[in-house]
Amino acid sequence: MNNRLKTIIEALIFISQKPLTLEKIKDVLEEFPSKDIDQAIEELLQSFSSNERGIQIIPSAGGYIFATKPEDDRWIRRLLMIERKNKLSLAALETLSTIAYHQPITLSEISALRDTDSSHTLKTLLHKKLIKIVGRKKSPGRPLIYRTSDKFLTYFGLNSLSELPTQEEISKIMEEGEDIKE
Amino acid sequence: MESAETYQVNLEVFQGPLDLLLFLIRKQKIDIHDIPVATITQEYLQYLEQKEKINLDREAEFLLMAALLIYIKSQMLLPREATLEEEEDPRQSLVHRLLDYQKMKAASTLLRKKEAEELLKWKRTFLPPFLETEDLDLIEVSLFDLAEAFFTVMKKKERGDFQVIKRKEYSVEEKTEEILAILRENSYLDFLDFFARQVTLEEALVSFFSLLELIKARRVIAVQEKLFQSIKVWITKDPATGQN
Repeated sequence: MNNRLKTIIEALIFISQKPLTLEKIKDVLEEFPSKDIDQAIEELLQSFSSNERGIQIIPSAGGYIFATKPEDDRWIRRLLMIERKNKLSLAALETLSTIAYHQPITLSEISALRDTDSSHTLKTLLHKKLIKIVGRKKSPGRPLIYRTSDKFLTYFGLNSLSELPTQEEISKIMEEGEDIKE
Repeated sequence: MESAETYQVNLEVFQGPLDLLLFLIRKQKIDIHDIPVATITQEYLQYLEQKEKINLDREAEFLLMAALLIYIKSQMLLPREATLEEEEDPRQSLVHRLLDYQKMKAASTLLRKKEAEELLKWKRTFLPPFLETEDLDLIEVSLFDLAEAFFTVMKKKERGDFQVIKRKEYSVEEKTEEILAILRENSYLDFLDFFARQVTLEEALVSFFSLLELIKARRVIAVQEKLFQSIKVWITKDPATGQN
């Protein structure tokens, strides 16, 4: 039975174009005991972690998703005829990290922390769906409030916001005085 | 200035006053919690003085910071009756801002690393892969599509007082420049939207000719994302220079 569960879950993850959460899997497989599902996923992840497979299942934004391995990147790009993937601009990256660490946050707060007007960058990020509007602040002008989205987590390979670089890691970089390269 | 001025960096490279301030602090290896305000203010002002002209849009913020530094400096010079421990250091709020700014920079560095790692993995979220770039399935529109779209807009306009040709000269050259200017600014131009904004029939006709000329010269391209969707005009990259 467990093997059957494993293949079903594998199929569900395969067909999902965004990370499939554990809750969703359990919703779909309501007939099966929750404990069995947990175990099946565990085994499934293990069987994919071997070197025999070109694809892996990775935890992402609180769910599971199929992904290729970093070492195969050049072959994939050759197939798709993509020279390189576009990185985010420095402004976009800084705005994202400001939002990530201070959310929920408004435009003026972001601009203050970044020490520069961020309205244009914010629009770009909304367009890319890396951030989302979650409401309006109950303060004069009722400014919009922003948060990072699930797509943000997937983009940076994070399972949840708690996996963001910690204060210690940040302090270490600060001591090194390493400056970000464009 | 006793500190050796080995190199001066152009003001333009700094994203904002905090960026410059942080640079000065690092250069002098100063403890951020204990900034010698007098020294730093002087250095900071030297940077501003480099500029002969002040571009107010951008440098107003730099001036504001200069004013803040001078204010803090004056606060620190003032004799105090009692130096209670709880008394707030006038530098405190600036130090907080600098630390937050520094944190933001450091966090961005770390996220940049994560991004680099993740970009090597291809996830199902990227599928279908051939649509990865922003220009989706673009269909280049034919002359007939353009003409049809043009006449549709003109018909709509006819109902207004539009058919009267007013005495104002429009040249193809001018219109061509106008279209290119819009494209440089906005990356694309919505066909219907653009023609709906033309004031007279003459202007619309001149615009249309200009657009056709641009398409013929391959300087712009008219496309639809899907059939029956609105037509968008994009600027093409000049193959010779790679410039727009």
